[in-house]
Amino acid sequence: MSVTLTELERKKAHAKPKTRGSGRWKLILTNYDLYLLLVPGLLVLFLFKYAPMYGIIIAFQDFNIFDGFAGSKWVGLDQFEKLVHSEEFYQVFVNTLLISVYKIVLLFPIPIIIALFLNEVRKAFFKKTIQTIIFLPHFLSWVIISGLFINILSPSGGLVNNMIQWFGGTPISFFLDNQFFRSVVVFTAGWKESGWNAIIFIAAIAGIEQEQYEAASIDGAGRIRQMLHITLPGILPTIILILILRMGYLLEAGTEQILTMYNSVVYQSGDVIGTFVYRQGLGQQDYSFSTAVGLFNSLVGFILIVAGNELSKKLIKRSIW
Amino acid sequence: MHKKTLSDWSLDFCIYLVLLLCGLATLLPLANILSKAVSDESSVVSGKVGIFPVGFQLETMKYVVSSSQFLHSIGISLLITVVGTVLAILVTAITAYPLSKRHLPGISFIMLLFIFTMMFNGGIIPNYLLMKQLHLINSLWSLMLPALISVFNMLVIKSYYESLPEALEESAKMDGARNFTILFRIILPLSVPVIATIALFYAVYFWNDYFHPMLYINDAGLKPLQLYLRDIVLNADSSNALNKSTDDLMNTSPEGVRSATVIASIIPMLLVYPYLQKHFVKGVLIGSVKG
Repeated sequence: MSVTLTELERKKAHAKPKTRGSGRWKLILTNYDLYLLLVPGLLVLFLFKYAPMYGIIIAFQDFNIFDGFAGSKWVGLDQFEKLVHSEEFYQVFVNTLLISVYKIVLLFPIPIIIALFLNEVRKAFFKKTIQTIIFLPHFLSWVIISGLFINILSPSGGLVNNMIQWFGGTPISFFLDNQFFRSVVVFTAGWKESGWNAIIFIAAIAGIEQEQYEAASIDGAGRIRQMLHITLPGILPTIILILILRMGYLLEAGTEQILTMYNSVVYQSGDVIGTFVYRQGLGQQDYSFSTAVGLFNSLVGFILIVAGNELSKKLIKRSIW
Repeated sequence: MHKKTLSDWSLDFCIYLVLLLCGLATLLPLANILSKAVSDESSVVSGKVGIFPVGFQLETMKYVVSSSQFLHSIGISLLITVVGTVLAILVTAITAYPLSKRHLPGISFIMLLFIFTMMFNGGIIPNYLLMKQLHLINSLWSLMLPALISVFNMLVIKSYYESLPEALEESAKMDGARNFTILFRIILPLSVPVIATIALFYAVYFWNDYFHPMLYINDAGLKPLQLYLRDIVLNADSSNALNKSTDDLMNTSPEGVRSATVIASIIPMLLVYPYLQKHFVKGVLIGSVKG
């Protein structure tokens, strides 16, 4: 009996290492070198992630760069009142939501289809070649991709407009037309990332047990049925997880992308929260208002991500953290 | 395995066709700009150049590649990429290790501190003001220091550490090894695939970043490649400057020079890409299956 007890206790000590009091200190002291390893990471974290959060206070000030944080006048929620009543902000907010929702609805299914199809390819050479090609644009910068498409969509001698003219249409200035600008943003984002985004689903498919396919094939299920009833349900948790993650970044409609593509002619359709903050803040030097807009953005984003994580815990018992 | 039926054939046909079209859609814009870079001026200007070059010439490419500003900005980008990636990998791989020891007092809380920054940040303006206060405007450190730890990358490495068998560490401890030795002699050498992948992600980030240089770098002598590209390719008024600087080149057009600049800046990526590709596919598979 005593033997089993000590065994039990040892197991307990292993399973429940949260020791209290002196045991806790002993654990810290014997592993002090592990804590030392955290120093560089924590330094970067506090200096470049947490210190800027202190700067958020200027959203509640009428900040003047010469007076600094301490000297600038406090104005309470004035900046936010200005935000709520600003028609320009309303337009920017609508643009952000539209571009983001288009991106989710139109672009989200493509990587899943690519992954499902790649999984059906038995010719290793073909599979590898296609993968190599469609992953590539992910590694090119937005500046390069914008340059690429400005070239191709150019109304004077661009590939697409040449084709439009060949079919008897009139050339379109895609980058200068509020009717087309959002489509350009969504399409080019799809061109850059669709292939790369398939990689996570390819990984998920690789995790499905092969026996399921063998059993289905014995039961007489064809390949389309196997795709729809084994592969697709097999990667469903991953699909939901990625979709929820994507929803969490609803207000990030592609700031860095749009900054390389837009111009004052298409602000009406293409200006999103991120680009608006950049323009107002660093272009117009309106630091306080722009920080207020940024804070609004961060807060909504934070709520969306936390809500998404809770949802994912409930739905698929998996969470991001 | 059952025999291939007619429906199998048509399914295969559809799948191969769709994937082939995806591949072509990816390559077409690249082929177009490459052709423009190596075609003669009159063909480029009159819009005759499609997927294949018309009136092949390499003068424009030679001109762009030998331009001192181009070479200088490539040098700056290389510097940021190499130094940034090495430091970032060091900091990230080291930080991930203690964070994988969840049972240590306080570790869960520190973990929370890291994860919180994934969901909430100060925003562009507070970051800009901080850089100003730290006197890092117009310093290349402003591009590297804040990026030394990406929490997402750290989580991937951490989950890889956690997947390593615990017995390894225990036996090393029995032999009297300390945590430092275990990390550098045992854990890190075993983590090469995932570290290589994350190093690639950091390198791509540093190489492609134009946003932070745009915020923090005004000094023309410190402009990285992407900022230089942005001036040439995206700014409409740069075409005048281009015209002037290319006066001596009879056979080039601003559009040709732009295309050649884009192609010249893709080349370094294209050279390393095939070698890296097998690594990142493997690394991402390892990372995501676990995470």
